[in-house]
Amino acid sequence: MSGPGAAESEDLAAPLYVAWQITNECNLACLHCIEESGPGKAFADELDRDQVFAVLDQLLDSEVPYLSFSGGEPMLHPHFFAMVERACERGAQLKIETNAHYLDPANAARLKALGVKAVQVSLDGASIATFGRMRVRGEFDRVLDGVRNLREAGVPIEINFSPASFNLHEVDAVVDLAYELGAYSFYTGRTMYTGNAVKAWRHLEVKEEQYVAFFDALRRKTEEYRGRMRVYFHEAGLLEELRYRIRHPAALLIVLPNGLVKLINALPFICGDFRRDSLEQIWARFRTAWHDPRVAGFVEDLATDPGKTRTLHQWVYL
Amino acid sequence: MRLTQYVKFREEKFGGVLFETRSEKVFTLNPTATAVIREIASGDEATIATRLKDRFVDQGDAIEREVSAFIADLRQRGLIEG
Repeated sequence: MSGPGAAESEDLAAPLYVAWQITNECNLACLHCIEESGPGKAFADELDRDQVFAVLDQLLDSEVPYLSFSGGEPMLHPHFFAMVERACERGAQLKIETNAHYLDPANAARLKALGVKAVQVSLDGASIATFGRMRVRGEFDRVLDGVRNLREAGVPIEINFSPASFNLHEVDAVVDLAYELGAYSFYTGRTMYTGNAVKAWRHLEVKEEQYVAFFDALRRKTEEYRGRMRVYFHEAGLLEELRYRIRHPAALLIVLPNGLVKLINALPFICGDFRRDSLEQIWARFRTAWHDPRVAGFVEDLATDPGKTRTLHQWVYL
Repeated sequence: MRLTQYVKFREEKFGGVLFETRSEKVFTLNPTATAVIREIASGDEATIATRLKDRFVDQGDAIEREVSAFIADLRQRGLIEG
């Protein structure tokens, strides 16, 4: 047996992980949203019920072991619970990434009964003021209630935190809050300059010296909570991460609400379309697409123009 | 003995993979390790070695030793229980 991360996507018959943005509709309009989601922002061509289940069944037939449903807000998808039920009853490990506004006691209990692996909740602050500044239209107390409902129902909880200039000082407090709420994992990294963040960058931007202090704090928190809650943080910058990914692509597909498949979230390249292509075709194209010179070219352009990430929504079809 | 709740197994041409989905760690398996994992759901440690001896050429007690060490490694990593 070899160690973690040793499986190269080129050797695998199918992806190991599919991150599916099932809708672009959202009840919030977050300053930093990569997907530019928000009220009324569902794609006009999002997959219909038959298409959704056709994709899901292909993933399950191919024994994709791990799926996540995100958005937008995935719980706003009209077939959300039916999709969760299908994925779980066929044995996939399923994570839901949500803003927690719809996690009332009944929905939390339903997710537990269906057998989701975990629910990841975005919590970008330890106070109403910072949370509300990032999560436009968001209700801090409603999120806390939602997470408590998950805990009451026995659903494993993960907390995700996106740093910004105005919430960095709360990093210790938000890690503590995640633990108090019953999370088993806490995730964070660098906020990306793309999507809604491009317009709001002057409010969001975190300077490199601030990131140094931020990651130092996270190292301390990792030790403080060792054995009780995992604190994960991704310190590498985007360029470093993408250079690594070109050499070692993760066995991960990003599926958009309309069935298009992205090579990776931080690149604009599309390598398939579930409305037209089978999973087998998409997986074959995914593996060759990482060798396309346009991919390496885009990544190296980021070395001289980091702001090029603002174009990630201008999809490039490989 | 069984895979723990958050561990998924899939066979591949080269053997197989174990995916620990809570930590999101992936472990690749050679054909022998894959055979052990396949057997884990249906037998105990001793019978796994016996069944593998029927399938692989054994030299002395090598298979028994390797199976024991492999299972201990799986337990230590939290990938199996029971």
